[in-house]
Amino acid sequence: MKKKALDYLLAFIIIISLNFLLPRLLPGDPLAAIYGEEALIAMTSELEAELIERFGLDKSLPEQFIIYLSSLLKADLGYSYYYETSVTKLILGALPWTLLLVGLGLVLSTLLGFILGLESGWNRGRWQDKGILTGLMLLNGFPDFFIGILLLLVFAVSLGIFPLSGALTPYTGLSGFALVRDILWHLSLPLAAVVLSEITASYLLTRTTVITILGEPFILTARAKGLKDTAIRYRHVGKNSLLPILTRTGIRVGRIFAGAIFIEIVFAYPGLGVLIFNSLMARDYPVLQGIFLLVAIGVLATNFIVDLLYKKIDPRVV
Amino acid sequence: MLKINDLKVCYGNYRILKGIDLEIRQGEVLSIVGESGTGKTTLALTLLGLCQGKVEGKVTLEDENILTLSEDEKRTLRWNKISIVFQDVARALNPLMTAGEQIMEPMLENKLYSLEKAKARVLTLLKEVGLSQGCADLYPHQLSGGEKQRVLIAMALANNPEVIILDEPTSALDAITRVEILKLLKKIAAGRTVIVVTHDLSVAAKLSQKMAVLYSGRIVELGETKKLLQNPKHPYTRGLLRSFPNMTTTKDLQGIPGRQENVLEGCTFHPRCTQKISRCEQEVPELEQQADRKIACHRGGIVTLLETRDLVKKYNRVKALDKVSIELVEGETLAVVGQSGSGKTTLAKCLMGLEDSESGEIFFNGSKLVNRKKEFYKQVQMIFQTPQECISHRLNVLDAVIEPLNIQGIGSREERKEMAKKALQEVQLAVDDSFLKRYAHYLSGGEIQRVAIARALVINPKLIIADEPTSALDASVQAKIIRLLLDIQEKRGLTMLFITHDIALARKISDRVAVMLSGRIVEEGPTCEVFSSPQHPYTRDLLRAAPELSSHYSQETKTLQYCQVLKLQERSGY
Repeated sequence: MKKKALDYLLAFIIIISLNFLLPRLLPGDPLAAIYGEEALIAMTSELEAELIERFGLDKSLPEQFIIYLSSLLKADLGYSYYYETSVTKLILGALPWTLLLVGLGLVLSTLLGFILGLESGWNRGRWQDKGILTGLMLLNGFPDFFIGILLLLVFAVSLGIFPLSGALTPYTGLSGFALVRDILWHLSLPLAAVVLSEITASYLLTRTTVITILGEPFILTARAKGLKDTAIRYRHVGKNSLLPILTRTGIRVGRIFAGAIFIEIVFAYPGLGVLIFNSLMARDYPVLQGIFLLVAIGVLATNFIVDLLYKKIDPRVV
Repeated sequence: MLKINDLKVCYGNYRILKGIDLEIRQGEVLSIVGESGTGKTTLALTLLGLCQGKVEGKVTLEDENILTLSEDEKRTLRWNKISIVFQDVARALNPLMTAGEQIMEPMLENKLYSLEKAKARVLTLLKEVGLSQGCADLYPHQLSGGEKQRVLIAMALANNPEVIILDEPTSALDAITRVEILKLLKKIAAGRTVIVVTHDLSVAAKLSQKMAVLYSGRIVELGETKKLLQNPKHPYTRGLLRSFPNMTTTKDLQGIPGRQENVLEGCTFHPRCTQKISRCEQEVPELEQQADRKIACHRGGIVTLLETRDLVKKYNRVKALDKVSIELVEGETLAVVGQSGSGKTTLAKCLMGLEDSESGEIFFNGSKLVNRKKEFYKQVQMIFQTPQECISHRLNVLDAVIEPLNIQGIGSREERKEMAKKALQEVQLAVDDSFLKRYAHYLSGGEIQRVAIARALVINPKLIIADEPTSALDASVQAKIIRLLLDIQEKRGLTMLFITHDIALARKISDRVAVMLSGRIVEEGPTCEVFSSPQHPYTRDLLRAAPELSSHYSQETKTLQYCQVLKLQERSGY
């Protein structure tokens, strides 16, 4: 485990260094690389001097790195000239919504995919399997945003059961349980879209794993022991299938973030996705860089958690 | 009592079991042996109601037909009444559960015990199978192969079932662990009904009282383990035994010809059988009682090819053969050993009809030999001791080898020449024209002997009477020719009466051995038994005089006591 932690630390250092180095290695003015051409047009010479001073751009690279690190420690990710506020503040404003959406989406899609995959693999070749497999393969053919649009059209526009956009109803001053309900109500459609677009991956993996494990001799042992189907399915097959699913989940975090961008935009959900999109449109590099750093750390953290869980489930992992 | 009646299992169109009838009494250990793919494991799984294929027939345990039970009833049957120790030790345990949890699982599933009592029982079981209590909390990957096997055995005992099936219980273990596990299995088998499924005959020998030999979905031989191993009657059982390396038998390993085929008609073994008759290809033989065992063979098991009863031959007053009775069964080698002058060659000559016996009878293929016709010599050939004398000096090599073909009228001229060439090649001789045209007296001793062997083999006889056939050969050539003879024996069931004074050679090539002394057979039996515990003092002397590679030489002559006694008797005119 110590070695694992060291690996993560190393990965973290490399990510930070890249984040620091990349804009400075780009040809031309580092300020242009950090802030983008558009931001520089509106820039006064005093502001420029202040920025150079702030990033230590007139100093040597190592010194700049130390300045960068110390500002990171102060949670200072820079200043957005587009939004005219600090990047940290911007990100912190959007992060909870994304965490809610992506985090729940990840957990739910993995869980649902796992259960469906288990049932499907267990009943391989029978109608249950064929039904689930066909349905999910069809779903997998749609792009993420298309599922979002479809849900939006049916449930929000036509049926009007769910709100069209946003994360909560503005200016209502709701609190407590009512607020939670409002948030969940807004969350339903985007969450469904995330889950639906992510479910196939974990479903397919679980199904294959289950089919492989069903052929293992210890399953025959379990059958011979006279165990009930549910006991075999969950205690023996399920637990053993969980291992590859967990590994895969860690890897999927990065992808699900990217998928969520489109869904957030479709539902105008005020998370990181919308922020990324707007910043991209405005070439607001500091915000983008901040988010990338955050996502990278997020992926690392998830993998670390997966490793810890893995150790809990699989006794063979030391 | 577990009773299996006409059990048939098929997967789609492929029939795995084709009608099995078995009865296993309470407390009996039965082994089911056979090559892989004969349906052993399918049989085991069917008894647990775990077979995926289509099952017909009846399996009765306590007056209840297992096969007609509902899935729920089968579930309660499993482990409570029949449990199994699976073959694949390394993978038969769930890697994510501790040994204790897995042993406990069937007890809790059936609510036989409370959690505390089940835990206590796990510890008792672990002790019973020779594991420490700490093993309960270990995961499979922390256990060695032998320990895993013990956990599997403990697990099989968990619900105290009446019947335990052991599927290849030792195949994954090293030799030392194997012995320990066998001891353990022997212990737990006491008082239980146990079915051992294995291809390892030594496991069957150690554990079981009764043995069923399974071939291609049918039982071909069934009887007491000891008797079946000592004296296999079905050609398949003999083949299994001959191909199984062990420390008991001494003959070179021989396989079973051909491979397992999906036979649709007739005896399942007939494509590989060396004694089949046309009936074997048409009718399925029933498993029938025959003396001390049951056997499924149209020919009643391995047939007796040649038999003599009380053969007597006198030269003047000397009895060269004194009431000699031997029996030669199909596809076996009987070595006749003894010093020169003991009557070995006379026996051979009497069998071939070159000498007439005074009294006694000879049977060939079940009928008494009165006068030998051409047909007899087509099936029986002799290799003589002194080949220089047995090949006419007027014949060249080709003529000599072709002669039997000419006599029997086999093939055209060209075909005969090809057959002769093939036979010569088999005995490691040249087949170019100059060699074929050479006369016997121009050949070396070893070459003439090989020509003589080629001449005996060329008509593909069923029985060869070989009188010191390799005595003039180098060890290396001898090895090749012995190999050739054993190969022909394996493939076509060649039967050999092998006369030799070379005890070491006899040990390697013979199934049975007869020791001759002054015209009498003083000892006769399976080679391994006669050589490992010789009963007659003369046999002991012969064994002491046999070649070995150790340097203790001086002991030999001193210890040949019986021979010295004999010499004294001769001198005193006794």
